[in-house]
Amino acid sequence: MNTVRLRLALLRNAPVALFVVVLAVFGSLSDRFLDVQNFTNILIQASHIAILGIGMTFVLLTAGIDLSVGAVMYLSVALLGIYLADASPILAVPAMMAVGALFGLVNAFFVVRLRVAAFIVTLATLFIGRGLALWVTETRMVFYKDQILSLARAEFLGVPWAIWVFAIVFAVAWIVLNHTPFGRQVYAVGENPDAAAKAGINVPLVLTTVYAVSGACAGIAGFVSITQVGAAASSFAMEKEFAAVAASVLGGVSLFGGRGGVAGTVFGAVLIQTVQNGLVIVNADPYIYPLVTSSIIFVAVFVDSQRSRILERLGRRRIRIEERPV
Amino acid sequence: MTATSLETEARSSGMRRFVRRVLFSEYLVLWLSVLYFLAVLPFVPQMASVEVLRNILSDMLPLLVVAIGQTFVLIVAGIDLSVTSIIAMASVVGASVMTGDGGYLAGSPLAVPAAMLAMVTVGLAIGAFNGFCITRLGMPPFIVTLTTMMFFSGAAIWFTTFHTTTSSIANLPHGFVVLGQGNIGGVPNSLWVVLAVGILAHIVLARTVLGRRLYACGQNRRAAAVSGVPVRKVIAAAFLISGACAAVASILYTGRLQTGTPILGQTILLDIIGAVVIGGTSLFGGKGKVVWTVFGVLFLVLIDTSLKMLGLSLFSVFAIKGAVILLAAVIDAVRTRFAARI
Amino acid sequence: MALLECENLRKSFFGVEVLHGVSFSLDRGRVLGLVGENGSGKSTTMNILGGVLPRDGGRIRLEGAEFDPRGPKDALAGGIAFIHQELNLFENLSIEENLFITGFPRLGGALPFINRGRMRRRARELLEQVDIRHPPGTPVGSLSQGERQLVEIAKALSVDAKVIIFDEPTTSLTRREADRLFGIIERLRRRGIAMIYISHVLADVTRICDDITVLRDGAVVGGGPAAQMPTERMISLMVGRTLDQLFPERTCTPTATPVLEVRGVSQPGVVHEIDLTLHAGEVLGIAGLMGAGRSELARILFGLDSFHGGTIAVDGTVIEKPSPRTCMEHGMAFLTEDRRGEGLMMHATITDNIALASLDEYASPWARFIERTRLGDEVGRIGQKVRLRAADPVAALARSLSGGNQQKVVLAKWLLRNPKVFILDEPTRGIDVGAKFEIYKIIDTLVAGGAGVLMISSEMEELMGLCDRILVMNHGEIQAEYSRGEFDSGRILEAAMKRKTSAAAPGAIAEKVA
Repeated sequence: MNTVRLRLALLRNAPVALFVVVLAVFGSLSDRFLDVQNFTNILIQASHIAILGIGMTFVLLTAGIDLSVGAVMYLSVALLGIYLADASPILAVPAMMAVGALFGLVNAFFVVRLRVAAFIVTLATLFIGRGLALWVTETRMVFYKDQILSLARAEFLGVPWAIWVFAIVFAVAWIVLNHTPFGRQVYAVGENPDAAAKAGINVPLVLTTVYAVSGACAGIAGFVSITQVGAAASSFAMEKEFAAVAASVLGGVSLFGGRGGVAGTVFGAVLIQTVQNGLVIVNADPYIYPLVTSSIIFVAVFVDSQRSRILERLGRRRIRIEERPV
Repeated sequence: MTATSLETEARSSGMRRFVRRVLFSEYLVLWLSVLYFLAVLPFVPQMASVEVLRNILSDMLPLLVVAIGQTFVLIVAGIDLSVTSIIAMASVVGASVMTGDGGYLAGSPLAVPAAMLAMVTVGLAIGAFNGFCITRLGMPPFIVTLTTMMFFSGAAIWFTTFHTTTSSIANLPHGFVVLGQGNIGGVPNSLWVVLAVGILAHIVLARTVLGRRLYACGQNRRAAAVSGVPVRKVIAAAFLISGACAAVASILYTGRLQTGTPILGQTILLDIIGAVVIGGTSLFGGKGKVVWTVFGVLFLVLIDTSLKMLGLSLFSVFAIKGAVILLAAVIDAVRTRFAARI
Repeated sequence: MALLECENLRKSFFGVEVLHGVSFSLDRGRVLGLVGENGSGKSTTMNILGGVLPRDGGRIRLEGAEFDPRGPKDALAGGIAFIHQELNLFENLSIEENLFITGFPRLGGALPFINRGRMRRRARELLEQVDIRHPPGTPVGSLSQGERQLVEIAKALSVDAKVIIFDEPTTSLTRREADRLFGIIERLRRRGIAMIYISHVLADVTRICDDITVLRDGAVVGGGPAAQMPTERMISLMVGRTLDQLFPERTCTPTATPVLEVRGVSQPGVVHEIDLTLHAGEVLGIAGLMGAGRSELARILFGLDSFHGGTIAVDGTVIEKPSPRTCMEHGMAFLTEDRRGEGLMMHATITDNIALASLDEYASPWARFIERTRLGDEVGRIGQKVRLRAADPVAALARSLSGGNQQKVVLAKWLLRNPKVFILDEPTRGIDVGAKFEIYKIIDTLVAGGAGVLMISSEMEELMGLCDRILVMNHGEIQAEYSRGEFDSGRILEAAMKRKTSAAAPGAIAEKVA
């Protein structure tokens, strides 16, 4: 029994151990790596994936998935570039969030009302979203004005703007998930939708909201990303949905619902970015970046699946209480 | 039930029977394809030309092979996101074996068969790895194949850098190119290959023990296990088959482009899964047929081609494709709910 | 005036009346024990009270007012809390969150934030009332079964329930946990809460209940103050039914040839030192209460679950590595208790279902093609043998069949393999009387053909009408064995409940030591 508990403890802390190993390895290879400026860079680079992943976490917690987030990023960025080119960020960000949330509501309509699998709905809306974005941009590259690009270098209280946005989104999401009735109901619905309905939770409303949240986060992520990239080509935010899922899963969010949280997702996004950053700093062959990243995600999922298997074995119903040796 | 509701029931039952027959028809997607074809014909009469039809066919072929592999995986209630990376990896590995620019077996008469063998081996190996992680380590198929997809997409690019300074490995032997573009009895070789794969896959699913077991694992895994079905082996087999099919598709694509390139297939992942689902194969397992997938691929390619010929921009092609996939999924959901009412 | 009055409750399923007018009443601060065999109507009655099922007839009055719950939420709002055997808790949430999942106390009363402080205080009060000493923030997933039970009670208290219904609350509890539960029940009684307590453990019922009502075949057959209801009287009321079900004449007697020999099979926490021998031509019954380990034993014997000691032999050959495949190769067949979950592919055809276990036998040697004509003929033959009735006996979907015909499909699946040993787990559960009779006849044909049948059933009459021998399981052990001729439902029931009625279960001793 004790060895089982020990193994569980080891497996539970494996992602953190992984992070420490990553820090140690890159730290010993380069003295530029363990540097405050470098960590600021990591956080800035990780911010849009983290924000995307935070939205994804809401959906994953209900055992759903949202593959359309990359498309929503592109669509909201395209709308910003074409119709709100002169708007101030104060107006632009809420507008992009609204676009994303609206998009999420469409996803929710199909998932909740028509009961189509979330995977296929959001796969389809991924196409539709990218199509709309290409229509808006007339398949041309979109460039942005200085008031947006200057944000890439802007700081507030000495902290870069992107990190502020990242931190605010994280804080709000964390509070919502942990300290509001809605957040706790998200967890309940993900754990057992039937029991949740029986307990009187408005399950369709909870599900609809999480897709809207995911869309809104994609809108913000689009904004943060565009301040860094400066221009949106037709491949903008391509396959970011997978990066977001990967960050969540790496941070311990279960694809089957009810387990994990936004802190894990942020951890996952930062870990991925740390590795990428480290590889750049030690001048690794850029072609091996995806290999290293995917291996790390694989290891994290492997560890998590082994842990669930042990927990499942422990949770099996017992019929008789065995006499313990006296 | 009151008398009036009985009357309306009777009146609507004829309509309902018709709706049900259409919805449940195996050939629903084929009829839709034909209908669609006829509907766009007035706007783009050249759709009916031999050349366009031939293009549609040749666009269908490699996509169909991957989609058939994906059908196997969906039947056991899995999903294989790694197929595009297998196409890429197999393409560059195969090319590196046979290319005239310093390939491992450059100039050797064995180069072409060895290269093709290597490509299939790549597919089988990645499929085997997916199957192992899913059945033995108990990891979810979505994440396993997502990580293998990321890994091997990257690996294919990396591998290419060892063999060329450009983005693809060219100068493939004449023998290989001829294989891809030649024909036997007027029928292109690639069509022969796809026909063979399709018929074989159909026979496996419809006629063999393995086929029955694949459906059983997708329908009710626990009941299958109680009935002595070696569930793990069967599920692993589905992923192996998917890997092998992706490798065959890679041979076809590589032959068509005459280069081995790691960006091959990068953008078709969602087309593949979309086509299979449009055909009627369920994402939840236990349901699917090779002919359905043929119809699904046909429908998707038809839409793709017609939209391009209508002069519609990329955006509408994307959006309409998405809408079609969504529509197919909604129809499937409605079907399922109808079925539950019988 | 009684707090809760039920008058003449009636309920039918698919045209068959299962509750024939059940009446009882309950006063404040009283505990009513509801006892009866499986299928006697206890659960149906309570599901009506708890708003899970609508009633077809009769009336319920709560505090003198008509009470007509439209759902569990409605019943709860009216003051009736139902604690199911399967608890309705979210393991990923903390105790306090489970208590308030639909009614979190909010900051400032209306802000969308949870008032953690108030929630914690309220949770503490509630947990104190049920004697849970864990901090309210503890995840429910880390609590024992007994503690989870108490959390459910605390949940009932949080909405000021007037009546709490317990359905078999002690099945997954240790003795000590059960004692703790009884302490809480006592305390609630003193506070004036009325309770209905459903249990098979008659000693517990006698101990904690004020009144007892005995149900049999969907009707009240007796009742009264607990003091006037000794265990023997309860048992005789529970089983005193007349044999109105007919069993087919058994056409053979057991031989002396063993087909299945189980020696010393144990698995910690599940079964202990199981020895049994099944002979050719014999129907061997396994009786016991729910949760006695009967189905778990069946799963172990068929290689679905692992075990740590002992051997299983078919026809004298020990099965080396038991798995469903090897067990099938040795000639075993297993009809599971969960027909939908583990027996059938509901969306597949009859033919596909019947063929599933025998595909290898109908495969061509090399390419493993299925010989469809031969398979089709055989499936048709077997279908007739089990008297399968379907609109289309080949292509109809399993889902479209009646329960009885579904069960015949599962039987046909195994019959196609010609096994020597059949393990049947609740073969007649949820099917109508006519189909039951046909299944009994099939079982008789099986043993007449030289097979052995190990039959698990919760219906005593069925076991006594069909079996040559009956083993009684209790707490994962075989408690008693009776041969035909010495069958007596009272004694069997007593053996099934015996161990728990004795004061000191081994578990309790071990815990005291530990």
